Amino acid sequence: MSIEVKNLVKAFGEKKVIDDVSFKVNDGEILAIVGFSGSGKSTILKLISNLIEKDSGEIITSGGDIAFVFQYSALFDSLTVYDNIAFALHERRDLRKKYTEKQIREIVAEKLALVGLKGIENLYPSELSGGMQKRVSFARAIVTGPKVILYDEPTAGLDPIASTLIEDYILRLRNETGATSIVVTHQMSTIKRTADKVIMLYDGKIVFSGTPEELLKMDNDYTKQFVTASIEGPMKMVGA
Amino acid sequence: MALIRHILKQTVTYKLFKSILVNLVDFMEVMGNITTGLFEVIKAFFRGELEWKELINQCERFGISSLPITLSIVGMTCVIIVSQIAQEMVKQGGGNFVGALVAVLIVRELGVIMSGFAIISMIGSSLASELATMRVTEQIDALYTLKVNPYGYLFLPRVLAGMLMMPPVVIISSLFGILAGALTSDLAAGLSYRVYFDSIWIGIFAKDMFVCLAKAVCFGAVIALISCAFGFHASGGAKGVGIATTRAVVWSFVAIVIIDMLFAIAFFF
Repeated sequence: MSIEVKNLVKAFGEKKVIDDVSFKVNDGEILAIVGFSGSGKSTILKLISNLIEKDSGEIITSGGDIAFVFQYSALFDSLTVYDNIAFALHERRDLRKKYTEKQIREIVAEKLALVGLKGIENLYPSELSGGMQKRVSFARAIVTGPKVILYDEPTAGLDPIASTLIEDYILRLRNETGATSIVVTHQMSTIKRTADKVIMLYDGKIVFSGTPEELLKMDNDYTKQFVTASIEGPMKMVGA
Repeated sequence: MALIRHILKQTVTYKLFKSILVNLVDFMEVMGNITTGLFEVIKAFFRGELEWKELINQCERFGISSLPITLSIVGMTCVIIVSQIAQEMVKQGGGNFVGALVAVLIVRELGVIMSGFAIISMIGSSLASELATMRVTEQIDALYTLKVNPYGYLFLPRVLAGMLMMPPVVIISSLFGILAGALTSDLAAGLSYRVYFDSIWIGIFAKDMFVCLAKAVCFGAVIALISCAFGFHASGGAKGVGIATTRAVVWSFVAIVIIDMLFAIAFFF
């Protein structure tokens, strides 16, 4: 399923967080949205998933579920891993009576295997490492077979090996489910290893759009500052 | 012009009106959140979104876990009252009415209001902080992205549990209070249990019990609804959880006192 965003605008009070942003992600593609903290990256994901309302513009999707993988996993801490993953199948009105408990158990085991985990169904989120929590949140997100997966900083706060593992699973999920993906990140490894296309945001506007290779060429001042992680450049950090 | 505006802003009148306006806006926002919660709960109920397992869990929380504290508070309140009035009433020749007085106090007022206060401090605060924590850790956003209605999943079982469990809690704690009154009147004034229990039925009528149970249902719903609404609309991390919990407790206290007053005016004025 493709996603097209046209002239999207979102302001919080006086401040325009997203200012006339347009882009398109084709079916099965992975788009990375990059930029410094506070540039409006996560807001775009929340607008696409309808968690917040846009002020103006269009978000065109061709139907189907949109899954969201949250930055800090957002697993239900009072539920076990099994109940977290099976949550939508147990609680969603249109899915409640669709599967028997035996079928749900099989689906949960299959999704857990897809993210490289097994035998942790009875554990609670607090008993898992950060990387494992993230993978469980992947499994929970894909349990309904979504056509779009939105990842909000999926490798933030993880060690390099766990980050590589998460990047592998982002690719694996795309390959196995064919889902279109948008990954918000500021980690170069995630951009290089997972993205087909990249857009860079600054002050709510797109300042670069291209492939990861083009980003690394550092042809404009924004990409140069971002890739070299320099303080000097057109982008000023809030409070810097 | 700017100077005049600056001077005006320094005046006490301006600051007073500004403060009133800010509080009014906040009040309207809270009332809006609670009303939205109520309508969404009713809608979710009629759409068959009730999760029975969750309802049972919440009933256990409202009923079983709150009982020790409600029993203690109502029981001790009765001991305090009876130990002060029993001796005096016996002296004045009104020993035959100690049970009646305690029963009227407990059934009409103390049993339900004291249980309400106990439930607010124990269950209401925990509901508000639970939902507020879910809000600030994006668990409520996760419900939306999983296409599960948070009003149906979070509000509905809690509000229903409040309505279902508050009456039995009030009945049990009121009975306990009356028993505590009997024990205290025996110890403090040497009043026999028979005299005490015989007089109970002089003071209370079916109407008193009906009003008591109706109040209990209302209090249960209101406490759960206000606590859920404050938790649900929390923001700002750990501090936000604290603020939401405190405000939920304060609003619940005020709300049940107002409802209690309305019941008193409607049925006993």
